[in-house]
Amino acid sequence: MERRGAHQIAADVASGSISAAAVIDEALSSARGIGRSLNAVLETFDDHAMERARALDAARERGETPGPLAGVPVLVKDNICTSVGRTTCASRMLEHYTSPFDATAVARLEAAGAIVIGKSNLDEFAMGGSGEHSAFGPTKNPWDLSRVPGGSSSGSAAAVAAGIVPMALGSDTGGSVRQPAAFCGVVGLKPTYGLVSRLGLVAFASSLDQIGPITRTVRDAALALRVIAGHDPGDATSSRRHHPDPLEGLDHRVHHLTVGVPRQARGEANRPEAASAFDDALRTFAGLGARIVDLDLPSLDAAIAAYYIVSSAEASSNLARFDGLRYGRRAASRPGESVESLVSRSRTEGLGPEVQRRIMLGTHVLSAGYADAYYANALRVRRLLKNEFDAAFASGCHVIATPTTPGAAFRIGAHDRDPLAMYLEDLYTVPANLAGLPAISLPCGVSTAQGSALPLGLQLIAPAFHDAELLRAARMFESASPHDVLRPPVVPAA
Amino acid sequence: MPLPGIEDIKSVELIVGMEIHVELAARSKMFCRSPNPAHLAFDGAPPNSLVDPVVLGLPGALPVPNRAAVESAVKVGLALNCSIARRTKWDRKSYFYPDLPKGYQISQYDIPLCFDGSVDLPGLDDRGQPDPERPGRRIGIVRAHLEEDAGKLLHESPGGGALDGTLADFNRAGTPLLEVVTQPDFRSADEAVAFARMLRSICRFLGVSECVMQKGHIRFEPNINAALTLRDGRVVRTPIVEVKNLNSFKSLRGAIEFEAAEQPARWAHDRREMGRGTKTTRGWDDRLERTVAQREKEDADDYRYFPDPDLPAVVIDDAWLASIRDGLPELPAQRESRYVREYGLSKKEAAALLDEPGTCRFYESTIEELVPLGVAGARAGRLAANFVLQSGQRRANERGVGVETLGITPSALARIAALREEGRLSSQSADELFGFMCEPENLGMDAAALAAARGLLIVRDDAALERWCDEVIAANPKVAMDVTSGKVQAVGRLVGEVMKMAGAAADAKTVREALLRKLTPG
Repeated sequence: MERRGAHQIAADVASGSISAAAVIDEALSSARGIGRSLNAVLETFDDHAMERARALDAARERGETPGPLAGVPVLVKDNICTSVGRTTCASRMLEHYTSPFDATAVARLEAAGAIVIGKSNLDEFAMGGSGEHSAFGPTKNPWDLSRVPGGSSSGSAAAVAAGIVPMALGSDTGGSVRQPAAFCGVVGLKPTYGLVSRLGLVAFASSLDQIGPITRTVRDAALALRVIAGHDPGDATSSRRHHPDPLEGLDHRVHHLTVGVPRQARGEANRPEAASAFDDALRTFAGLGARIVDLDLPSLDAAIAAYYIVSSAEASSNLARFDGLRYGRRAASRPGESVESLVSRSRTEGLGPEVQRRIMLGTHVLSAGYADAYYANALRVRRLLKNEFDAAFASGCHVIATPTTPGAAFRIGAHDRDPLAMYLEDLYTVPANLAGLPAISLPCGVSTAQGSALPLGLQLIAPAFHDAELLRAARMFESASPHDVLRPPVVPAA
Repeated sequence: MPLPGIEDIKSVELIVGMEIHVELAARSKMFCRSPNPAHLAFDGAPPNSLVDPVVLGLPGALPVPNRAAVESAVKVGLALNCSIARRTKWDRKSYFYPDLPKGYQISQYDIPLCFDGSVDLPGLDDRGQPDPERPGRRIGIVRAHLEEDAGKLLHESPGGGALDGTLADFNRAGTPLLEVVTQPDFRSADEAVAFARMLRSICRFLGVSECVMQKGHIRFEPNINAALTLRDGRVVRTPIVEVKNLNSFKSLRGAIEFEAAEQPARWAHDRREMGRGTKTTRGWDDRLERTVAQREKEDADDYRYFPDPDLPAVVIDDAWLASIRDGLPELPAQRESRYVREYGLSKKEAAALLDEPGTCRFYESTIEELVPLGVAGARAGRLAANFVLQSGQRRANERGVGVETLGITPSALARIAALREEGRLSSQSADELFGFMCEPENLGMDAAALAAARGLLIVRDDAALERWCDEVIAANPKVAMDVTSGKVQAVGRLVGEVMKMAGAAADAKTVREALLRKLTPG
C-alpha cells in the first residue's frame, strides 16, 4: 500500500490524477481491515464518506476549486463530536450517544475538503496513556501487537502509523497526542492552548485540553493546524490573536536555533532506549548548527503531581453531567428508588475504573478542607512552571527538547496493578499542558532493545503562540533525520 | 398557657437578612443563545423548547457569557450603590440534582460582580407604610452576583393529573439570575417587605427584569433569627432559619412574622442557640400560613467551588463601566422625590405613579405632551397626575391592566388636560372624554374635535348662558327671591336647572357665578 501524505493526496485530487472516491474507498477498506484488527477504529462512516467523496469529485469536474485538504481521509478521536455516527468517548456511558453538532475542528476540516471516514478508539474519556482503558477493548500498537500504542489518542496514532489515514485528530490534555505519536512512530502536535477551538471536544480537563493533529510528517501537521486553528466565538477560551500560517516558510531553517534541555530530560527516569535516542537527537540538532543549552526548570519535578490534581479536579466536574438522566446510559430503575441511587448506579455501570478513579481523586482534591492543600498548591506549581518556561524562552531558547516518553511502548497490561507507574510515564508531556505551550512529538529513532523494533519520540516545546516556529524547528530535525520514512515492520493483515 | 421559660424573655429583637434571586430578562440565556423564558417574548414557551446543547449540558458544549446580562447586573449593582469588581470570574458550584444539567451551576464564588452596597429604607409607620416622621434604616448589601438558573421538575402532568415519575423542563435552565445578598439589617417583616418592593421596583425601572411575582422572576429567601434579652440581663440568639423560595410579598411577610413569633417559643422549649451547624432550612406553607421544616441533608453541603476553566475572567474596564453608568435611567426613589419637589405631589401620589414603570412612563410622556400645549412645570405635573391617578387608575383597576394599556395615548390625554386647564371642559366631561379616547374606534382622533362633536365643550357663548339663566329665574321666582334676599345657598337649585338645560356645555361654577350676578345686587 502506498502511503501518501495529506499534501500529496490533496494535490492529486485537485489535479484530477486520482479521484477522492478512490482515496476514500481505499481508506475505508483499510479502516475496516487493519483498523479493526488493531482495534484502532470504532466506527466507519462508509456511506457519508463515499457520498462526500463523490460530491467532491463532481464539484472538481464542474471546475470548483478544491480545498487544501481535498479528498484527505481523516479519522477523528471519538471524544470529538461529529454529527455523523456516534460520539462514544469509548465509554459505556455514551455507547449509543449521537451528537447534534460537529466540533469546530471537524467542521473546519470538512470545509477544507477533508473527509471524516470514521471515529478512532481512545482511553475512555481520554483518561489514560496506553489505549488500554477503552470500554470497547484496547488498541494495539502496529509495531508490536502485544504492546500498547500509547494514549489516550491510541486509535488515531495507530491508524496513522498503519497507513489507514494520513491525518487524524486527537486531543491532548497531558500528552494524549504526543505520547501515542511517539509510541507509534508518527508526528503529534499539541497546539498552544486557545489556538484550536475546543467546542465539540468532550471536556476532560478544560484548562489543559487541546485538539491536535496526528500525521506522518511535520508538513501535514502544519497543514492540519492551518485548517483547524483560529478564533471561534463558540469557545470563550479560544484566542483572538493573529496566528501566522504555519505552512509559510515551514522549510526555512530557524537561524541560530537554540535548543534548551532541562536537566530532568537526561535524568534517571529515562530507560536506556529513550536516553540514547534523545542523545542522538541532540547530536542531530548540533549537526544542524543548533546551540544546545542546559536549563534548570525546578518545577518540572512537581509537574506530574500538579497535573493529576488539576486534571482530575476538572474532570470530576466536567463528567458530572453524565448522570444518565437526559442522555447516555441509565441503569435499569428499581421501584421506589431515589434519584441519587439511580444516578449513582448509572455512573458506576457506565464509567470505567480509570475514569472513576480520576473522578474520586478530583472530588477529593476539591473538597472542603483539602482544596487548599491540593488544588490551590497545584495551581501555584502551574504558575511557577509557566514562569520558569517564560524565563527559559526569554533567555534565548527557541525550543525546549525532551524525550516524549521515558521509554518505548510497554506491553499491554504492564501497568495494570500500578496506576501510579502509568501516571509517571507522562512526566515529559504534562508540563506543556500546564503552561499552555505548543509541543510536538516527532520520531527520533527505533529501538530494538525489547526484541521488536519500537519507535521513540523527541518532544519540542515552544513559547505560546509560536506554533509556526515550533513546526519549523521540527521540520529542520525531520529533514536531517531518516525517521520520517519509518513504517511498522509488521502491518497486520486485514 | 405560656410555654415554660417564655417568661424568662424580657424582649425580642428580630434580625433578618435576605437573599433575593432576580431572573434577568435578557433575550438569550446566561451562557448561550437559547431564548430566555424570563423575557416576555418567550414567556410560556412549550416545555423543553428553549434549549440547546449548552442548556442541556451535552458533551462538547461550551458556555459563552452573555454581555447584556453582565450589563444588567452591573446596573442593579450601581443602583444599590455597590462597588463593581473590575475583574471577576465564574466558578462552578457542584451538586447533583435532576434539574441541574451539568452537575454544577456556573456562579460567582469569591469575587462577586457587585459588592459592598447599601440602600436607605424610609421610616415606616405601624402599618408598614412610609412615614417621613420616623427614622429610616440603611440596609447593607453584601454582594450581588450572576449565576445561571436551574430547570424545573414537574411531579404532576402539565394538566394537573397524577404522574408516574417526574418530568423535567429545561426551559428555565441557564436563565441569567442575579443573586442579591443583604446584611442582616432588617428588624421587622415590614422592613424586609419594603426592601423587597424597592428592589423589585429598581429592577423594573432599570428594565433588567419583568419581576412578575407569579412567574418566579423574583424570589426571596430570608434568614431569620432573634436576639432575646432575658430577665437576668443575658442576651441569647436563636438559631438562624432560612426560608426558601418565597415568591410573594405576602409569603415573605408571613414567613418572617411567623418565625418572629415562633423562635422565642422554640428557644423557651429547647434552649438551642445560634452556633455552628444550627442553621435550618424551612419552606412556607401558603395554606397553613406557617413555615415547615424541609428535609435536611445529613452531611453539610460541600459545593467544591473552583474557577470554571471554560470561562476567562470578566474584565470591566473604565469605558465599559462608564457607558453602563451613563445609560442608567432615573431610579424610582429619585423620581419620587422629584415629583414631590417639582410637581407638588404628595408622597402617596408619587408612589402610586411609580408603582408600574409603564404607568410612570405614560405619566411623564403626558407631561412632555403638555408643554407644546402651553402647560408646563408644576401645573403640568399636577394636572397629568390628577388624570392618571383618577380617570386613568379607576379604569385601569376595573380592567386589571396598567393605565398605559387603556388605549388612550399620552398626547390625547395631554389634549384633554389642556382643555380642562383652559376651562373648556368640566371635570365630569373631561373624565367622559378620557373614556371616549380609550375606545379603539377613537384612536388617533383629535380630543378637542371629539369633545365638540359630543357636545362636551363648555360654551363660551355668553348670550346662551344669559338666556338659560333668565329662563330658569323666570320659571322659579320664589327661589330667585330667596337668593336675592340673602339665602345664597338656595342658588344651587337654580344652578341644577340651568345645568339640565345646558347639558355639558356649561360648567357649574360659571353658571353659579352668572346667576348670582343677576340675583344679588352690587
